[in-house]
Amino acid sequence: MSAESAAKTIVSGLKGAGISLIATLPDINLSQLLHEVEEDRDVIHVPLCREEEGIGICAGAYLVGKKCAAIMQNGGFFNSNNAIVSTLLQYQIPLLLLIYYAGDIGDRTFATSGSMTEPVLQALGIRYYIMRDPDDAPELIKRAQILTEDAKRPVALLLTKEVLGRRSVLKSL
Amino acid sequence: MTLEWNALHPSDGNFRVRTLGLCSSIALGMALGLPHRKVIALDGDGSLLMNLCSLPTVARMKPKNLVHIVFDNEVYEASGSKKTATGCGTDLVGIARAAGIENSFWAESVDSFAKLVRDAVAGNAGTFIGAKVTAERVDVAPFPLDEVENKYRFIRHVEKTENIKVFSTALPASYV
Repeated sequence: MSAESAAKTIVSGLKGAGISLIATLPDINLSQLLHEVEEDRDVIHVPLCREEEGIGICAGAYLVGKKCAAIMQNGGFFNSNNAIVSTLLQYQIPLLLLIYYAGDIGDRTFATSGSMTEPVLQALGIRYYIMRDPDDAPELIKRAQILTEDAKRPVALLLTKEVLGRRSVLKSL
Repeated sequence: MTLEWNALHPSDGNFRVRTLGLCSSIALGMALGLPHRKVIALDGDGSLLMNLCSLPTVARMKPKNLVHIVFDNEVYEASGSKKTATGCGTDLVGIARAAGIENSFWAESVDSFAKLVRDAVAGNAGTFIGAKVTAERVDVAPFPLDEVENKYRFIRHVEKTENIKVFSTALPASYV
């Protein structure tokens, strides 16, 4: 699947799960996805300066009835940890985190960030799923949204290059 | 400030923020989610200094219903009263205006503060109001709710006043 089709599939999956506000901060691998979010008239797109403020924005919007998602690189997830702990976890607020998995197997950059991503998610007790096949994206997003609402905790979907249509799909990981 | 406000105006519509810096961002999320309601953020200088980047984001999103008030006492009062950067010359209203929030004002007196707030609440434009205050605490009751109860009550308040459902429908007893 091309990056463009993958991005369209992911955005339509988010809308299908009822998401109506999306906070984002760019990574080169997220370009096409963020382009689709930006172009979509049905969602409120909030471009951020720093990912942690996005956790606050999504929490505030949730409190008044919006289903939200935050899209960021794993570096941005690290940036957001205080807000995740002292707002999302402390108040039991759900949020769908779509985290670009920089430093995933085969990446030439960010190996350190890659090696810390899953351990930090585990330490925070955040359930996460690694997305590889764009065809699975809508169903995974739908299930993750049910899980975050039901558990009243954030749930993370790790976006790999495969799911973003930037590398051929690997099904064996 | 949460305690003082809640003592004066107890309401399930009060949401207490516990992450230093996040007040302006949580308020922005509320303002974007409920564009026909006024959202008032009661912020402090130490908090806003930690999340200055919320100002350009507010400027970019242009919420017409957000009134952001910063009480600037120039110290981290709750954390031992060490000086903040505003005690060394940093001008938060100047930063807000430079970030792109045109309606950014310093209150010059109690009367000017009251007028700015009244106009902002009655008006139809996002507003940033700074007020220099002295660092002193009044003796008020502690906040009566923990975070989770505060969340539920706030959401129930929104559901009731907006006639909407925030929580997902509970499943029947059987598994689906």
